[in-house]
Amino acid sequence: MSMENLNQSEKKDFLVSSASLKDVRAFSRDVFEKFKIDEDLREELVLAIAEAAQNIVKHAYKDFPNTQDRMVVRISCNDEVLEISFFDKGKPVEESKVKHRAIDDIKPGGLGTFFIQEIMDSIKFEPGKKPWINNLVLTKKLAN
Amino acid sequence: MTYKITEEDNISTIFLDGEIDMDKTEEVKEVIFPIIDSGKNVALNLSNVQYMDSSGISVLIESHQKALEKGTKVIIKDVSKSVLKVIMMAKLEQILNLE
Repeated sequence: MSMENLNQSEKKDFLVSSASLKDVRAFSRDVFEKFKIDEDLREELVLAIAEAAQNIVKHAYKDFPNTQDRMVVRISCNDEVLEISFFDKGKPVEESKVKHRAIDDIKPGGLGTFFIQEIMDSIKFEPGKKPWINNLVLTKKLAN
Repeated sequence: MTYKITEEDNISTIFLDGEIDMDKTEEVKEVIFPIIDSGKNVALNLSNVQYMDSSGISVLIESHQKALEKGTKVIIKDVSKSVLKVIMMAKLEQILNLE
């Protein structure tokens, strides 16, 4: 990552829908290209972002498949730390219930959170400031 | 997502094309599962699948398990580098039949 691209931030809102996931990925890829993030890391970060967005659709809006609500993805880069924030107005996340399945218990499902944990350095649920209910913050230290 | 199916002996090869995410998994299942249910061996050619998320990986696991129940096999062929990385992250490279 070049020095002139430090301290940048981009955000975009998306309809809370599985059909939006491709747009979330396209947005993320554009931002990482703009931020000059190492190519090897880009697709991993895109996967982590898409999994977090998928969790909003799948869990926070589980009972509202036809919602017209929007979620926001914000990608910031400050002092070589990438911070990715997600804002939604869905069901409040119960942090104690956010866990992946045992990785050696081979069965469909339960891998999204595992991927996010593998890729990112930290995962935090911050209290959502109005109008938001949930605010997930993922961070990753970027190599020099 | 698009797909093409070729038949040879008792193996149906499904060539998937595109990005496989939560939005596409039902479509992918509708292509793969009936062939497994018919008792044929399946080869999934993923050379043109450049992105797969946890939902796509779940379809691979489900296909693999379904085939085991039927006494057949699902082989995953020509996996793109990016999808292989995700399969390895899920520690499934020894479980799924990769070729």
